[in-house]
Amino acid sequence: MAATAGQVAFAMEAFRRIHPVEFQRRFLSQETRHDGRAFGQFRATQVVKGTISSAQGSSTVRIGDTTVVCGIKAEVCEPDVRRPDEGYLVTNVDLSPMCSARFRAGPPGESAQVASEHIFRLFSGHVVDLRELCIESGQAAWVLSADIVCVRHDGNVLDAAIIALMAALEDLALPRATLDAGAVTADRSATTRLTLRRRLAPATFTLVDDAYLVADADDAEEQLATASLLVVLDGDGRLANVWKRGAGAIGRADIARCIEAAAARISATGE
Amino acid sequence: MARADRREGDQIRALHCVLGQLGRADGSAQFSAGDTSVLCGVLGPVDVRVYDEKLDRAHVEVRFRPDIGLPATKDKWVEAALRSTFERVILGHLHPRTLVQINVQVRQGDGSVDAAAINATTLALVDASVPLRTMVAAASCAVLPGGAVVVDPTQEEADGARSVHTFAFGAGCSSEPVYSDSRGDFAAAEYDACYDLCAATAERVAAFMRAAIEGKVTKEARVGA
Repeated sequence: MAATAGQVAFAMEAFRRIHPVEFQRRFLSQETRHDGRAFGQFRATQVVKGTISSAQGSSTVRIGDTTVVCGIKAEVCEPDVRRPDEGYLVTNVDLSPMCSARFRAGPPGESAQVASEHIFRLFSGHVVDLRELCIESGQAAWVLSADIVCVRHDGNVLDAAIIALMAALEDLALPRATLDAGAVTADRSATTRLTLRRRLAPATFTLVDDAYLVADADDAEEQLATASLLVVLDGDGRLANVWKRGAGAIGRADIARCIEAAAARISATGE
Repeated sequence: MARADRREGDQIRALHCVLGQLGRADGSAQFSAGDTSVLCGVLGPVDVRVYDEKLDRAHVEVRFRPDIGLPATKDKWVEAALRSTFERVILGHLHPRTLVQINVQVRQGDGSVDAAAINATTLALVDASVPLRTMVAAASCAVLPGGAVVVDPTQEEADGARSVHTFAFGAGCSSEPVYSDSRGDFAAAEYDACYDLCAATAERVAAFMRAAIEGKVTKEARVGA
């Protein structure tokens, strides 16, 4: 007796849950992926700017099912005595139990801290000119607190976070601030935009099961990852970051191919 | 092109290492390149917390302490980089249900700390006789604003550089980096140049580390005889 469509779907779901590694291998060994994508294919990316009206700059980014929201809050503070002409950019990536069952409530875990730090290193000074955040030298400067919250984790959160922060910075409207008699007054009717030094665009490639190099891995594939390569390019096609994590074998030729694929993707998305 | 410390572009700072300095660790190593110095102590295989226990392999834990102040987010980043590098280099399946703890303390930081930490960790793991797939050696280089590529940059050079690159390779395997981090503003051609320079440098560092280990082993054999 032939199995009904429902029975096949159920068997497939059971197979996926009981033998996740074998399930993925069946697809990968046939040069395809469990969601039907080709190895080099990225998921559709959606960027919406200005999604949080209470923040000075915000965006929501979706890569497939991965959803990340970024809000930038601008506050005034005293600049660092060593750098009286510079403001601050503070990045914080939040991976809470809301986005995936793998994360626990409480202080940020390692992956959240690493993502925060990595994004900070990419943006602070390189994308945002910190001197532009100065209101009055040695007296007052802007702190941009960028909170990047993952709402749904389906892999490749770092790419989504970088795209989200970039979009939120483009959306950012800073009120014109002046310092008189020791108090800062902000004129919300006159806002200025930041001049961003570069426009960063990321692409991540993941080595799954030590054998298959796939673009934009989702959560199920990331679980089997032995290495991943993040390539960040700017609008002029120059590189901003090449970061390999994990000791899996991504050779030199693979890295060169990934850089080319990242450049092709960025020109294809027309940004 | 003149560097502040009169080095050539492809010249590293004087290397120095001490093995087995820490009495209570299973293995330890201090690795210095000029004024950058990192101390690493390895415990393992030792008892593992139930929460971290893995049935088929050893759990690898890395703690990275900066030279000044308490560990912050930037140190967590290095910690994760070290762990992701060594988790697969250590043959963990030979010691299932145990812990290999790697403690890294920066003694002095003057640029290229990531590379020094990787080198110190390799030496400490060898000193602790933890089974390894390969010996890992790392090297850093920087592209200066003028376009010159310099290896093993000092903090001053790295701060002023257009881009900084760190690569780690397994012994004799320069076509597949174990770890790679390049950041700043660079072209693909510059990346290739830095790759070649770091691969060549890492080979020299690996030879130095090998000589240091051989020296220690021969000395121990002589004492034992």
